[in-house]
Amino acid sequence: MSQPKHPRHVPQVKNTQYPLRYWKIGYWQKLTLSIWLIALVIIPFADIEIVSFDPFLELTRMVNGLITPDFFATEYLFEAIIQTVNFAIIGVCLGLVLGAPLALIYQHPIVSSCCAFLRAIHEIFWALLFLQIFGLSPITGILAITIPFAATFARVFHDIINQSPDSPLESIDKRADIISRFTYGKIAQVMPQLMSYTRYRFECALRSSAVLGFIGMPTLGFYMETSFRQGNYSEGAALLMIFIALIGLIRYWCPPKLLGVYLVIACVTLVDIPNVDSSLLVRFITQDILPPAITNAATLAEVQWLSLSAWFSTLMLEQAIPGAIATITLALMALAATHFITLSAHTIASKHLWPAPFTWFGRFMLLIGRSVPEYILAFIFLMLLGPSMLPAVIALAIHNGCVIAYLAVKQSNAIAPQEMQMSRLNQFNYHIMPTIYPNMMALLFYRFEIIVRETAVFGILGIMTLGFYIDSNFSEIRYSNALVLITCTALLNVAIDILSRRLLKFPQATQASC
Amino acid sequence: MFKIDNLNLYYDKTAGTNTRKNTRKKTSNKTGKKDAYTQVIFDLSLTINEGEKVAIIGPSGAGKSSLLHHIYQQLPTRSALCSQRQGLVDNLSIYHNIFMGALARHHWLFNLVNLIRPFKQDLNAIAALCQQLELDQPLTKKVDQLSGGQRQRVALARALYQQQSIFIGDEPFSALDPLMTSRLLDIVLAQHNTVIMVVHDRALAMSAFDRVIALDKGRLVLDSQQQSVDQEQITALYQTNAVA
Repeated sequence: MSQPKHPRHVPQVKNTQYPLRYWKIGYWQKLTLSIWLIALVIIPFADIEIVSFDPFLELTRMVNGLITPDFFATEYLFEAIIQTVNFAIIGVCLGLVLGAPLALIYQHPIVSSCCAFLRAIHEIFWALLFLQIFGLSPITGILAITIPFAATFARVFHDIINQSPDSPLESIDKRADIISRFTYGKIAQVMPQLMSYTRYRFECALRSSAVLGFIGMPTLGFYMETSFRQGNYSEGAALLMIFIALIGLIRYWCPPKLLGVYLVIACVTLVDIPNVDSSLLVRFITQDILPPAITNAATLAEVQWLSLSAWFSTLMLEQAIPGAIATITLALMALAATHFITLSAHTIASKHLWPAPFTWFGRFMLLIGRSVPEYILAFIFLMLLGPSMLPAVIALAIHNGCVIAYLAVKQSNAIAPQEMQMSRLNQFNYHIMPTIYPNMMALLFYRFEIIVRETAVFGILGIMTLGFYIDSNFSEIRYSNALVLITCTALLNVAIDILSRRLLKFPQATQASC
Repeated sequence: MFKIDNLNLYYDKTAGTNTRKNTRKKTSNKTGKKDAYTQVIFDLSLTINEGEKVAIIGPSGAGKSSLLHHIYQQLPTRSALCSQRQGLVDNLSIYHNIFMGALARHHWLFNLVNLIRPFKQDLNAIAALCQQLELDQPLTKKVDQLSGGQRQRVALARALYQQQSIFIGDEPFSALDPLMTSRLLDIVLAQHNTVIMVVHDRALAMSAFDRVIALDKGRLVLDSQQQSVDQEQITALYQTNAVA
């Protein structure tokens, strides 16, 4: 679909000026081919065996659960929904409060690299860290969402503001103070974009909030995981349906005007915040997170440098490097698979290709694909296909493919069809795809950073990514190891981000829309 | 009031619209990035005095807008610019767009509050201004819903609302009919001590302004202050260009 179709009939006019070339590989074709080549090259090294004892038994039970959803099986369902929404709302609001001012000074290299670092650490890892300090308190959940979201808001808002035209500023009196000039000339101009991005991030926050349930926070994810693990598929299916409805109907239950009201409700209905034990905090910072060689030493002179370096190199060789390799392998395969899912999902939901009722179905599929947390998707495929990287690849591809396709469909449906007699298929191949493909690829590569982040979640399911080592270090109470590995993960993400910005050139406006 | 000596301006292709001023270091720049810059103004000298009403005419691509923006940069605190690009904020109402002209007269806190809730005093002043400019739209309407001529008058109103002594306009009436143009031009001329304007209509330039300057291919070819200029010379200017 990405290859341009060349005319079959050569015009009869004699062409002496231009050499006729039927096949020229353009930039986007090269990019597409390299994604797939890389994926094909690494497949032999990746662990993607299908080892399943009896997938059909599990599958029939799942389908059975899906058609008999049990909405009353969950005991604290209402509380779980409230808490999921609360974490998301308070997290997004705090993220805005912290992130929006940072957007104004984001051009400073220190600010932007700090934000890149904070953003690179997955919500789950933040939660695992705060869990050690605050326990299962709402503070843990809220902070785990606030920190990465603030860093993301800072970057995206900065991009949006920078990409808006400067022409209003030109006509404003130069004597006016900077605050007035900036609010009238810039902020007022980009306000709709900032609002719509915030709305999109709220959807992301709901998902993150649910995902925090997988490590024990009292959100919908907690009950989802429990019911899936116990095989209560009727209960699990009901929870999934509620969650999909919650995300699909955001614009009805949470219009921007009511956000303030919801924020107040969220603060009131938040479960009680237990007192923070400050000694625990001090202990965590001064002892727990330090490597054993330092903790045992009273002064700097007593630090056993030899054992410290031995500890560090063992950690690197046995956990960080294998984990990083697995993470990248998984992410690269997921990238190719995501490309495939994006193209197919966009095809089934494009209004240029199908009459309206079919596109509703397509869009509903996209909604399901992007709403179901990757973790649950991976869990389902893990049951069906057995433990390997394959379930993770499929889960990442479905989730991210549907997110990109959703954004691409929004864009392609806004394109006016050519005023020319041609079939829907020709219209789609000649007009729609060439128009949105660059944008689609830009979104795909922006999502690559997110795919790398999300591989973390699968560590908890036992797939040997960096997340797996981090999770096991937390459960073995080796916080120092976990902290080093989290730092490695963040640095890996930052490196990938810088590399992809250097290597690829994309239309500027797209990153902000993702 | 101000004086330009041997001005050379370059259009920066890579940056889009930036004009670049090089009065002396001309050669060093030209050799290095010959492709990135196109010269748009060549050795132009010009003096404009306080109180003059100057029209700038010339065929398209003559460098009129570049010269005008250069003049604006020389007088940033005393002049109001009404640019061809308009620079309206689509997301704001007519009222707020016009109010942008008055930002310098108020404290930032006042401006911020006004953004949320317009003040009565400015609302009345702007309503009167709109009436004067024959802009009969509700002030709360967003400017992206306006027609080309209406947008142009909002941009004009914003420049007028700056209440400066010098008005610098780049074809501010190009989307309006001739009758309305002459009515609005009278308002602009009456409210400003000095007016420097790129004008499309040659007859209007001759009749309504004290002084007419003509540019062609980046050079000053006619100046009514130094020589008597008649209609024929100007017509010839446009015709030679059309043939070439």
